[in-house]
Amino acid sequence: MTDRPSVLVPIRVLEGESIPDGVPKLLADANVVLLGYHVIPEQTAPGQARMQFEERATARMDELEALFENAGATVERRLVFTHKAQQTINRISHDEGCLAILIPDTVAEMDDVLVAVRGAVGIDRLARVVSGVFAGSEASVTLYHVAREGESDADAQTLLDGLTDRLTDNGFDEGRIETRIGRERDPVDAIIDATVDFDALVMGESDPSLATFVFGLPADQVAEQFLGPVFVVQRERPEEAD
Amino acid sequence: MSDPAAGGEPVGENVAGESPETEPESVTDETTVYEDDVELERTIGLVGGLAIGIGTMIGAGIFVFPGLAATEAGPAAALSFAIGGVIALLVALPTSELATAMPRSGGGYYFVSRSMGTPYGAIVGLGLWLGLVFASAFYLVGLGHYIVAVLAEVGVSLSGLPVPPHVLLGLVFAVALTVLSVGGTENTAKLQNVIVVVLLAILTAFLTYGVLDAAGVFGRESVPGEFFSQGQLPVLTTAALVFTSYLGFAQVATVAGEIKNPSRNLPLAMVGSVIVVTIFYVVTIFVATSSFGAERLGEFGETAMVEVARDLLGFPGAVLILFAGLLATFSSANASILSASRSVYALSRDALLPRWASRINLRYGTPHIALGMAGGPIFVLVATDQVEILAEVASFLHLVLYALICVALLVLRRRDPSWYDPDFRIPGYPVIPILGALASAGLIVFMNRASIVIGVAIMAGSYLWFRYYAADIELRGDV
Repeated sequence: MTDRPSVLVPIRVLEGESIPDGVPKLLADANVVLLGYHVIPEQTAPGQARMQFEERATARMDELEALFENAGATVERRLVFTHKAQQTINRISHDEGCLAILIPDTVAEMDDVLVAVRGAVGIDRLARVVSGVFAGSEASVTLYHVAREGESDADAQTLLDGLTDRLTDNGFDEGRIETRIGRERDPVDAIIDATVDFDALVMGESDPSLATFVFGLPADQVAEQFLGPVFVVQRERPEEAD
Repeated sequence: MSDPAAGGEPVGENVAGESPETEPESVTDETTVYEDDVELERTIGLVGGLAIGIGTMIGAGIFVFPGLAATEAGPAAALSFAIGGVIALLVALPTSELATAMPRSGGGYYFVSRSMGTPYGAIVGLGLWLGLVFASAFYLVGLGHYIVAVLAEVGVSLSGLPVPPHVLLGLVFAVALTVLSVGGTENTAKLQNVIVVVLLAILTAFLTYGVLDAAGVFGRESVPGEFFSQGQLPVLTTAALVFTSYLGFAQVATVAGEIKNPSRNLPLAMVGSVIVVTIFYVVTIFVATSSFGAERLGEFGETAMVEVARDLLGFPGAVLILFAGLLATFSSANASILSASRSVYALSRDALLPRWASRINLRYGTPHIALGMAGGPIFVLVATDQVEILAEVASFLHLVLYALICVALLVLRRRDPSWYDPDFRIPGYPVIPILGALASAGLIVFMNRASIVIGVAIMAGSYLWFRYYAADIELRGDV
């Protein structure tokens, strides 16, 4: 048995956002960091919102926590009133040492999981998430790499085999692992196209770049078009120097 | 890093049976933490803090006061602004120390109520709310003058109205700003940052040119004029009048609960914004009085800077300063309305005002009642059109708060309760807080009789409200 990976599940707790069907079961083997947050406009002090909404939010958090615990997960919970959702999600993810953030969506049968592999960087965290969450389930995983220009099939296969080895080391049944190499121009489009046959997706967070400012993070683009839960594996944050 | 919150739970009940909210468990660089794992995220950085301070202050001193101040004190008005700056700095330092020890919403009100008890807290808390209301009304009258000047520039004159056009426009904007704060969901803080950067850029360019011109670089004759043309006493009365230009640094403290890394950012934002605006004010007055002479400057009234710009740079200069004046008075008024609403929240949290006053409406997530409690009285005050009285009453109420903040620092340092552990300790203790308290109180003496009467009446009213509504509430932290 591997360690339970910490997975952040952010929920807009007061806006009726709930946990989609199948998600608690999906995270049964994880350590769920349940982040209930409420975004308020700048004209409002966060403490003001707390005075009025804390009771309702806490009651809702109790329900959500029970959902995950009944499915078998361990749960840490945080309730935050904030002006900036992204800042809060990043902070909590870092605070709690989360390996991945889940963008939740409904999942009926958990049979096939697509794992998008970008490169060797951060592959250890990717392996810990995949084995931690899916090793104990019946699902089979497909490791998918979109090769860059000039990258040979052999190189790509080496990368995927390396990940396969890590997964089997972590106790993942090798018979449930497949590998696939893509040759498309645009990795994001390729991943979106590939997800059609899958129930869930695991992918890496990419480095913020100019393109992400213009088009948004690839993970968000993918999540918008894919109708299932997406695990976004967080890159390792350098320890902040004080 | 985690500091314990100010010690001792506030206790008691008000007339409506409401008790003060419990204090948070701890304060970190990024959050305020309550029990049951409830956190409030801190989202304002150093730039945001400076923008609140500078954005609130720079409107009045440069775009409303130069004409008025020059009439009263002559070229020595520059000295009046310098005196105001020094007093503001004497208060900003103690405020910074207290803010790093108690980085909570409500700022000065919070420090005074926790160190000196509820009656003092009620007087400065209600005074802070109304002081901001007066200040906001003053900025809006200034904004009205700028819009009238812009319209005049394009050949539109509003005459034949039952009220002066600048008052009418001030009233329109009082309503518009209140409605915008209740229903607006756009990113106002980012807008405020941009406005401040644009303003500082325009002013730096304009003033650099003005200083070179006054020094004779462009070969023009400047008007020297006698420095103390009106004598020396008016320098002090003018300092009292223009002190309204220095109220903004305390606004930074009213959002102390939302500032990231408060032990570093709060002192930097408060002291930094005071220093920046003082320099801009003094240079502005110098440029303005050298280009026209104090007397003619006074004749131009609230929009005197536009004429200075026209004289220096011609029509484009006038347009530029008109534009800057609109931005500056608008951002000052807006920031003050939001701070006034934050003060109402802080009072309501402590049960000194009814809890419903800080209720949030579900549609926009904004505190419509608190914003209305700012906008309503502002509307009435704009209608009076008494620029000097509005400015002085705003200053009066803030100066009382400032004097008590300095006293609060002296009280806490002497009593030294275990929870008092500021990350920033001021140099020059106890001289600075003592001077700050004396100077703040001293400045009040030089105000108009009418302003003092109104100010004292508001303080008395605040005390009576406390006796009637919240006499049982005890807010002071454990000794």
